[in-house]
Amino acid sequence: MTLERLKAAVHYTAGCLCQEVAEDKEIEFSKQTIAAISDITFSQCEIFAKDLEMFARHAKRSTINTEDVKLLARRSQSLLKYITQKSEELASSNQKQKEKKKKKNEGESKGRSSEAQVQPMMADSEELDT
Amino acid sequence: MAASEAGARFKKDTVNKLLRLHFKDEKTKVSADALQLMTEMLKVFVQEAAARAARQAQSEDVPTVDLEHLEKVLPQLLLDF
Repeated sequence: MTLERLKAAVHYTAGCLCQEVAEDKEIEFSKQTIAAISDITFSQCEIFAKDLEMFARHAKRSTINTEDVKLLARRSQSLLKYITQKSEELASSNQKQKEKKKKKNEGESKGRSSEAQVQPMMADSEELDT
Repeated sequence: MAASEAGARFKKDTVNKLLRLHFKDEKTKVSADALQLMTEMLKVFVQEAAARAARQAQSEDVPTVDLEHLEKVLPQLLLDF
């Protein structure tokens, strides 16, 4: 994907999210405001990405995990709380899926511990695509 | 499935590419869960920007959120993220 298409994708989603806020607050957003919000979001990604990479490296990992994202959310108490809660939801839904799989595959044991789901995986293995 | 409430959201693929754009080390990867959390993070970022700007516009009693409103709330927004 080119940079332009990536920016367009951010702009599209930012526009949808702004629309939701607009309906909620009964107000309108000017086009320039939406464009500015999506530009800011795009640049903020650079800060996010560099921080995440450094957090992982500091922990001597090459894979960024949820702990790194929590650290990224450290500046605001309520954001940290929200991200931590989301992280726990993810972990428990992974756990449930794991158990389902385990039941299905009962018998053909693979000799893995129950916490194997925490294994880092490449991002493009879209097993919990939404 | 996790994070399944309705509404707009960033695609994991998009977020992954956005992050990869800025990694210094090509070996850096993002776990699936971390990526999911990052889509949440970016969603909150946009929602906060929009909601704070909207509140600013409302406090000035105008029906349209404009750049000046965003500009006023931007410094604090960036301090919070």
